Amino acid sequence: MIQRRDFNRMAALAAASAAAQARAQNAPSAAAASNDGIAWDKAPCRFCGTGCHVRVGVKNGRVVAIEGDQLAEVNKGLLCVKGYHVGLALYGKDRLTQPLLRRNGVLEPISWEEAIETISQKILATPDQFAIYGSGQWTIPEGYAANKFIKGGLGSNHIDPNARLCMASAVTGFLSVYGVDEPAGCYDDLDKCDVLIMWGNNMAEMHPVLFSRVIDRRTRGEKVTLIDIGTRRTRTTDFSDHYLEFRPHSDLAIMNGIAHLLIKKNAFDPKFVEKFCNFRQAPKDPNATPTAPLLGDAMSFDDYKAALEPYTPEHVEKLSGVPAEKIRVLADLFANKDLRITSTWCMGFNQHSRGTNANRLCHGIHLLSGHFGRPGDAPTSLTGQPSACGTAREVGTMCHFLPGGRLILNPEHRKETEKLWNVPEGRISPKIGHHTVLMWEKFCTPADKGGDIQTLWVQVTNPGQSLPNLHKLFKAKAGQPDKFLIVSDVYRTATTELADLVLPSAMWVEKNGMYGNSERRTQQWFRMVKPPGEARDDAWQMIAVARRLHDLGHPGMKDKNGRFLFTFKNDQGEEVPVWEWPRYYDLNVDKVLFEEYRLFSRYKHKDLAPYEEYVKARGLRWPVVQQQDGTWRETKFRFSEFDDPYVKKGAEIQFYHSVTKDDKALIWFAPAEKAAEEPDAEFPFWLCTGRVLEHWHTGSMTRRIPQLHAAMPHSYVEMHPEDAREHGFANGESIVVKTRRGELKLPVWIDGRGHPPRGSLFIPFFDERLMCNDITLGDVDPISKEPDYKKCAATVARATAAL
Amino acid sequence: MSASVSRRGFFTALSRPFQKKAVPVRAVEVTASATPATPRTAIIQGRFCIALTSFCSVCVERCPVSGAMTKDRGMPMVVADVCTGCGVCHDVCPAPRNAVLMLPRRPTTLTPQPA
Repeated sequence: MIQRRDFNRMAALAAASAAAQARAQNAPSAAAASNDGIAWDKAPCRFCGTGCHVRVGVKNGRVVAIEGDQLAEVNKGLLCVKGYHVGLALYGKDRLTQPLLRRNGVLEPISWEEAIETISQKILATPDQFAIYGSGQWTIPEGYAANKFIKGGLGSNHIDPNARLCMASAVTGFLSVYGVDEPAGCYDDLDKCDVLIMWGNNMAEMHPVLFSRVIDRRTRGEKVTLIDIGTRRTRTTDFSDHYLEFRPHSDLAIMNGIAHLLIKKNAFDPKFVEKFCNFRQAPKDPNATPTAPLLGDAMSFDDYKAALEPYTPEHVEKLSGVPAEKIRVLADLFANKDLRITSTWCMGFNQHSRGTNANRLCHGIHLLSGHFGRPGDAPTSLTGQPSACGTAREVGTMCHFLPGGRLILNPEHRKETEKLWNVPEGRISPKIGHHTVLMWEKFCTPADKGGDIQTLWVQVTNPGQSLPNLHKLFKAKAGQPDKFLIVSDVYRTATTELADLVLPSAMWVEKNGMYGNSERRTQQWFRMVKPPGEARDDAWQMIAVARRLHDLGHPGMKDKNGRFLFTFKNDQGEEVPVWEWPRYYDLNVDKVLFEEYRLFSRYKHKDLAPYEEYVKARGLRWPVVQQQDGTWRETKFRFSEFDDPYVKKGAEIQFYHSVTKDDKALIWFAPAEKAAEEPDAEFPFWLCTGRVLEHWHTGSMTRRIPQLHAAMPHSYVEMHPEDAREHGFANGESIVVKTRRGELKLPVWIDGRGHPPRGSLFIPFFDERLMCNDITLGDVDPISKEPDYKKCAATVARATAAL
Repeated sequence: MSASVSRRGFFTALSRPFQKKAVPVRAVEVTASATPATPRTAIIQGRFCIALTSFCSVCVERCPVSGAMTKDRGMPMVVADVCTGCGVCHDVCPAPRNAVLMLPRRPTTLTPQPA
């Protein structure tokens, strides 16, 4: 018997998909409106990479209600505290509502025409010294438009996203192990695993809805062992069965220790290794070819064994501080093939000056032990941003990528991309652009001293707070009148402080959009409310500048047939001048851009379905492959025969983008090394930075949400009680934290949310009044170019005493 | 509660009727802070509390009275005998529906006595 509630839900579901169907064809619909006049529609949450879906309630042109989406597989109706309040992110009092140009040091309102003209003239003046700094919070079509504009239009590759600060090491990890980016597993692994190992990953705080999915299994009576391997106790530790505290930077030693024991005890999986793996190490000559550091040199199993020889549990204990006994416990878990083991990691591995190697070793122990390719057996990276995977990695808005996993350095890939974009051969520059840190360094360096970036356009991110070592990489821009900084954002931020031109943007449900989350799930939503004042879509801004350049005669803005790069036709075949704002929503620009981008997705078997499929679904995990009956099927477990349609029959597991072209993945050896800056007599503390549950990254949205601001109003420094006692600090007292790059005054929180060990400090980075990145080091991983935000040397002092 | 309903499922089921009504998007209610005229005590309304889904513990963290709030498997609890009724927990609660109720203090204790 169908219960009343189920019946209502089914009716609502039918109505919603009918509505979505109607709107996919651009027909207006009011079917989703409920009795109280609130119209409901779906959207992924604006904040983190988990990719929860919310239902957004709109009344009188305003978002008035948010609830968790029961139909979404990711969150099943639940949200975290940020998600419940996501609607308020739109309604901070100081939304930017008109373009602002800095004149005599003051930002003054100008018209959109003037703004577009100013940008176009700046680009025309020095086209090869123009760069775009984008975001993993760009929607997929926005990132695609920006990528096409600069690489296919201007013939320059100076575009990089903030994902460089966040996911770049995971990308190089996946590429160098499997030959193709992004996790093989998905969140279903969390429902199936017997053991969950969180490597420097505070899931309770950063991906709370995912973590609740795991904790929930325990209350159903299932046994799942949680192991927290970290450098400070967090609320994840509170729920864990084992907590392994290691000396910062020594995580590589732990993983080598596990591999050492697996081999020593002959407890690895020789069948799996022989069938599916090759061995790899750092190249003898890293400069031999541009990809040498990424792909490395082959090594034999015996060499691999020999390289691991020194990593005995006792030696690892000495390096990492983790008791040898615990290393043995870990190795025994991996040795047990009956268990399903999932590893997750996030910024602990990635924001690491040996981040690529950390990623490789984690994949390595899973492959070596055969804990791969069954549901619950997976090494899986979690992303921080809602579309770091969808936009930065898949669309390839990075300085060395082309869409769909193609590379700038590969002439074939450039040719294919030029063909798909219908631009003349040779339009795409063969030269890799500047990665994030280099881009900002060059922008902050005077032109006569080699600073070859003059104009920089920032969209959907706040580098003025999130870049490391801000004095060097951002604040040095001040006082250089020839450097022109353009910022598209929704609020004033630390970045707009130094901006010369500020553009007001539409955000989240004020525009159509698509995101791609951590588990390869591509999501879609429609515009539900109008942006405030003159705020406009980021993709429109990019297209409008492209059109202005086209009209000013820039040859790059035309394709091979002399047509504008962003030519859009409606169903009647008429061209729609979408660069005129009133016409922008005459057709669904997102859909057109996505359908064009979709063609790029097949090369690396990251197949995306047509736009309409995403309208109907709460996201689909690629590869999404069409079935005999015409329906589209998502893939949960990549490379596994039972689920991935691209694996050959009988192969069991097939790494079909293998670096070595033999369908095998690579097990890497990488040594444990010292950090770039370690505590010493002058700076005796480790300093780690990170996030808190209540705030989204730099807090530009969440600090304007009263509930979240009230819950976490101020930044702080966490410290061990013994260290505080030794220095005579009382809880809540203002202290000074100093590094070689600067100092910061902030209250100390003893026994707060996190519990760092002795000799260690932690500061969250959300508070723009207390920017911890003034003092971070940010030395980059040599392969991924991702900075390390988790380790530098610091000292503390009383706020009143002279340092 | 039957054994097949998990804690998370249980929580979802409880919160469903309230989610069905629109969760209003509005400014935070600030009512407490000043010393109350009549003695009060805080009560956590479990059905509104998001501790189990969001690992929230803001009230416990910010409670200014040592020992007045504790956490039991992630859920915040008020120790009524120690609570001074200052209302900070109510002010900082970030749940969509404020989960902290300020009640006039009764002569007897509100915490369940150990069996």
